[in-house]
Amino acid sequence: MGAPLGSFGVATPWLLWLLPLALLPLLRSATRRTAISAVSAAPADPLSAALSAVLTGAGLLALTGLIVALAGPYRAGESVTRTGIGAQVSMLIDRSGSMNETFAGRQPSGEEESKAAASRRILGAFVGERAHDLFAVTAFSTAPMLVMPMTDRRDAVRAAISAIDRPGLDYTNVARGLGMALSQFGPAAPGVSRALLLVSDGAAVIDPRIQAQLRAEFAKVRPNLYWLFLRTKGSPSIHDKPAGEDTPQAAPERHLDLFFKSLAVPYRAFEAEGAEAVAGAVRQIEALERDPIPYTEIRPRRDLTGYAYAVAALGLLLLVLAKLAEADFLRQGARATGERAAPAGQAGAERRKAA
Amino acid sequence: MSAPEDGADIVYWPRWRPGGHRVGAHRGRDAGGLGTFRDTVSFLRLPDARRIDIRASLRDPFEGVAVRRFEARSPVETYALIDLSASMRFRGRADRLGLATAFCTALARSATRIGDGFGLMAADAAFREDLYLPATRHRAAATLAAARIGEATCAGASAEGLMEAARRLAGRPKLVFLVSDFRWPEAAITRVLSALALHDVTPVLLADTLEDDGLPAFGLVELDDLEGAGRRLVLLRPSLRRRWRQREVERIETLRRLCTPFARPPFRLADRFDAEALTRHLLTT
Repeated sequence: MGAPLGSFGVATPWLLWLLPLALLPLLRSATRRTAISAVSAAPADPLSAALSAVLTGAGLLALTGLIVALAGPYRAGESVTRTGIGAQVSMLIDRSGSMNETFAGRQPSGEEESKAAASRRILGAFVGERAHDLFAVTAFSTAPMLVMPMTDRRDAVRAAISAIDRPGLDYTNVARGLGMALSQFGPAAPGVSRALLLVSDGAAVIDPRIQAQLRAEFAKVRPNLYWLFLRTKGSPSIHDKPAGEDTPQAAPERHLDLFFKSLAVPYRAFEAEGAEAVAGAVRQIEALERDPIPYTEIRPRRDLTGYAYAVAALGLLLLVLAKLAEADFLRQGARATGERAAPAGQAGAERRKAA
Repeated sequence: MSAPEDGADIVYWPRWRPGGHRVGAHRGRDAGGLGTFRDTVSFLRLPDARRIDIRASLRDPFEGVAVRRFEARSPVETYALIDLSASMRFRGRADRLGLATAFCTALARSATRIGDGFGLMAADAAFREDLYLPATRHRAAATLAAARIGEATCAGASAEGLMEAARRLAGRPKLVFLVSDFRWPEAAITRVLSALALHDVTPVLLADTLEDDGLPAFGLVELDDLEGAGRRLVLLRPSLRRRWRQREVERIETLRRLCTPFARPPFRLADRFDAEALTRHLLTT
């Protein structure tokens, strides 16, 4: 790596020691010299003088271009911080076995779409529409899974989301998932809007001790919390009070909702009983999360060898054109005299033959 | 006497009447010998009874005796002054130095054959002692010295040594051929010519048709000055070629103008040495 000049550098800097060679066209020229008794015999000609300067420049350009191209120039990669509209969105997606079922609570068949597939489709569109958001994807079933840390790489996020309809397994352990989803936000930055999007089709009891921890975490991170509850037809709603005893065990959804409401962070729950309802909920979230956000854009290292070769080629092209336009009149003259001499020699040979 | 490949002789006709007692080929200043009739003088002035002009004596009312006088034939000395500045290295249709050698050889032959002396002086920035030949009637020596010109090295950037040559030529008038391409400053030409003004000077302008008529109509040429005046890239095209040739014509015209007070008009020796052309030039100017 060469010492970067600004954000420019070269791969093999020692080759740049050859750069003084590029001054050679000032001393010598590519055109063939014609020795003449007095240069002053040629009348002053501005066009020729300009052409001479151009050809010298072309020589300089060609040599400089070649040497620089050999050294391998590049523009170093850098990250640029810009401000856009968006938010840090941490998605927490339920991967429990029930997500494989349709909204009707069956295994999907034919045209039917599982809850996971629907959320994949709709969340994928969500990611695609938001240009400057940062996304993190966490999945959870019994244990949380870190799918994708907070990033602005849209393709990676989309790939992570498209993986969430792989068959899920086991149960719903929302507490540890929430913990990991919160940890995705990283250190607080001022003026950044944060959103935690929980996508699940069920809930689970959160241990009171973990509840306290989560409370503290929420108080620290202060995200906007959105719960997208994919409700299976016939299963209890988050607002339904159970018929019997109103304990977290009997109605985990309702109690999770209550827990969220008690967190003192902006919270909205969306209860969706079909793909359209999910899409509507996502649209609402999208409309809500519109705040300025600083985001970093990474410009990758860029190879400039091609440009250097192009510059060299331009110079060489000019030189080749000059070479093609070259007239060597002294040599032509010598050839003409040689031809004049040749017939005499032939005549002599014929005479000898006759004799 | 002369080998067939020698070519024609250079015939010259000095502008002045050479003096001296040696017998030569040119009409001399003095009377004597068996030459062309010159005049009649009184017998008392030239008491030569063999040449009494009876007709003139009878015609004389004072009854004096007249004696015929005849012109003496005297030799002259010819000198070739060769400019050996670096521009003489030029090779176009012909080798410029080769042309000079051909000229010198022909002059050496022509001069020694009729009993004239041939001398050779060459100069670049300094006078070239190694090529100096004082006028001699010795034919082999003259031819040898002339041939040495062909092997001379030309390195100087000027022909200032010719002033020294002019100093050495002081004395009786001589027939001087100043062989050069005259790529000199005008002041230098005038200086050399005025130093030689005493003599009968014929400037021999070495030229090459490649340098004017032979220029290509189009092309890129990098000119390299033989005398070290640098390089120059020139895009030849019909208009520039026209201007170039116009400039050459003007240069020769200027040379002619500069020569007029001191010397004969310059003889242009281009591509091939033609003794007859030089003869015509010498007899008509």
